[in-house]
Amino acid sequence: MSDKVQKIQEITGAKALVKLLKTNKVDTIFGYPGGANLPIYEELRKSGINHILSRHEQGAIHMADGYARVKKKPGVCLATSGPGATNLVTGLANAMLDSVPIVALTGQIPSNMIGTDAFQEVDCINITMPVTKHNELVLHAEDLVPAIKSAFHIANTGRKGPVLLDFPKDVLDTKFPYNFQSEMNLPGYNPTIKGNVGQIKRAIKILKKAKQPVVLFGGGIYLSNGINEFLKFIRLAQIPVVRTLMGTGIISEDDPLYIGMIGTHGNTIANRVINKEADVVFAIGTRLGDRSVMKTHLFAKNAKIIHLDIDPAEIGKTIPIDIPIVGDIKEVLSDIIQRLEEKSLGIEKPWKINNNKRTLLSTRDAAPVMQTIFSELSEIDQNIHVSTDVGRHQMWANHYCTNPKHLPLITSGGLGTMGFGLPAAIGAWFADQQTPVVSLSGDGSFMMNMQEFIVAVENKIPLTVIILNDYRLGMIRELQTTSYNGHYTTHNFSEHVSFTKFAEAMGGKGFDVKSTEKIGSTIREAIQSRVPTIIDFDLENISKSAHLSLNSVAS
Amino acid sequence: MDQHQTITLEVEDKPGVLSRISTLFSRRGYNIESLTVGHTHIPGVSRFTIVVTGDEAILEQIRKQSQKLIHVLKTENLDKSQAVMREFAIAKLKYSGEHIPKINELVDLYGARMLDSRNEVLIVEFSGTEEKIEMVFKDLKQFKVLESIRTGKLAMRTGQ
Repeated sequence: MSDKVQKIQEITGAKALVKLLKTNKVDTIFGYPGGANLPIYEELRKSGINHILSRHEQGAIHMADGYARVKKKPGVCLATSGPGATNLVTGLANAMLDSVPIVALTGQIPSNMIGTDAFQEVDCINITMPVTKHNELVLHAEDLVPAIKSAFHIANTGRKGPVLLDFPKDVLDTKFPYNFQSEMNLPGYNPTIKGNVGQIKRAIKILKKAKQPVVLFGGGIYLSNGINEFLKFIRLAQIPVVRTLMGTGIISEDDPLYIGMIGTHGNTIANRVINKEADVVFAIGTRLGDRSVMKTHLFAKNAKIIHLDIDPAEIGKTIPIDIPIVGDIKEVLSDIIQRLEEKSLGIEKPWKINNNKRTLLSTRDAAPVMQTIFSELSEIDQNIHVSTDVGRHQMWANHYCTNPKHLPLITSGGLGTMGFGLPAAIGAWFADQQTPVVSLSGDGSFMMNMQEFIVAVENKIPLTVIILNDYRLGMIRELQTTSYNGHYTTHNFSEHVSFTKFAEAMGGKGFDVKSTEKIGSTIREAIQSRVPTIIDFDLENISKSAHLSLNSVAS
Repeated sequence: MDQHQTITLEVEDKPGVLSRISTLFSRRGYNIESLTVGHTHIPGVSRFTIVVTGDEAILEQIRKQSQKLIHVLKTENLDKSQAVMREFAIAKLKYSGEHIPKINELVDLYGARMLDSRNEVLIVEFSGTEEKIEMVFKDLKQFKVLESIRTGKLAMRTGQ
């Protein structure tokens, strides 16, 4: 017996960690070194895992986020203790709200110094607790193997999300006879996958009786890989569908069953159908967030609501639900399809929606220019991963980026993180190096993480950054127009940055576009160049070139 | 309607589990009236009894959010009609000879226990329902109470 124990080789915690990353098929890590995580770097160096050096830890975690969304498996990022860890916080919150699987690794100061306010010490676990699905301080070598196995499992099952592991430097440095066979033990973690049969039958019964049923769907369809089942279900049931912001690209905008997007930035028709006309709303893979629902007391007020979600806590959180179904969307929809194939709902064709034109967002403030830019982008007939930042351009992109080969948009839906788009696009590239990436930004958002452009240059990424430049914070201006009687403050950038010079300074290529006719050709040239490019669309001058004024376009 | 609701959580006895639960409650704006935690008969398993203010929908939301914590094993909403609920209290009283009959009367009435008595200072222990502990504290006012403390609620479902 003692022979067997002696045979287990003693290795450092860092080596064990990297070994487990490889077992979990991690091919890429986004990170930034520091004193406390250097033992991990020493092992990564020899591992064959591709490490991408960001220029700020926030960049690294958004890269891991973009990677995870495209690769459909956990993105991994690595930061040091103290400021390294705190710089991850925004990215963790972003992944938490959009249910993106991330395993974040942080170095921590040596365990015997914890609690002494040592150099670069923060209470990483308590700081990140509310913005992670789970986190753990790996204080004892014997906990390391189960902690890492659990992290990957928790991040990528049930409702996906970020998991953070904090490793004191001494645990990383010290040799220990690690047992890689030791299993994770998670007695309190059992996500529900199969839906309750009684609830499913009740839902079908209610749909059968419905005269004007509507399906409302969100990003959960992607997260469960349930697109095929979803499309099969709605075609079988002949129910019109409405999407949320996170549901881009699941169904074609031209599909006869597609009505539009709900919410503050949605289509009037979609809001009207859900809130006034529907007698049954079947919500699938959406947390019925406030930007979608708007006024809770008006939401689906004439309808019985069926809600299918993997997370039981999302059901009934803000809207009372008549029939909750907890389970994995792919599983539950397969079950429903099977039942409908045996006995159909009896709906031959979708109910008729009157006045079903999709009116779009306000046309104020150079909106038509944005529309043209996104329509031109959508003309490019090849696979592209498109990310967005946050602001007006994000909402317009959501309506006008319609090419299914460019969708879903990689977008920060829940947290609304400005500065997300560029690093997320870089991460997306590492997940799928056959497909060029495009990052859509406003000038405000771009300047929040613009340093990461150098990562695209270093790694020769076919990235095109499209900046919709209004030299200000456009959405802030819009809100000050609509909600603050036009009292404008703090939304203008008084000094204009030359983004083309910035691109060149970093070793990329820059394009200035000031007229309408150059829009399409420049986008095509930039994407075809297959080098990191920035296109600075001067919205005001483009508007003028089209004989339109920036502030009074079609309003 | 807002009222006191009781929820019990069975948790893995891991470092930081109290922090996870209190972080969740404060982050989601749930008001804790009382919180009691201790070991159970199962090694490695602790149990929280938490009393919160809110309606039934909030209670259910609290239960579901708590259940999502990886170290939480089991959650249960408890109703007075299907559960026993107890509190425990100790108090330190300053007394003199003339108080003794009254003190003895209270001890008998509430089934209290004397834990310590020296130099005209005694410590008594009470346990019972929240209402009973309220009454005890009211009755103790006739003496000079030097210190007192009561636990939060311990609750357990009746039957199997």
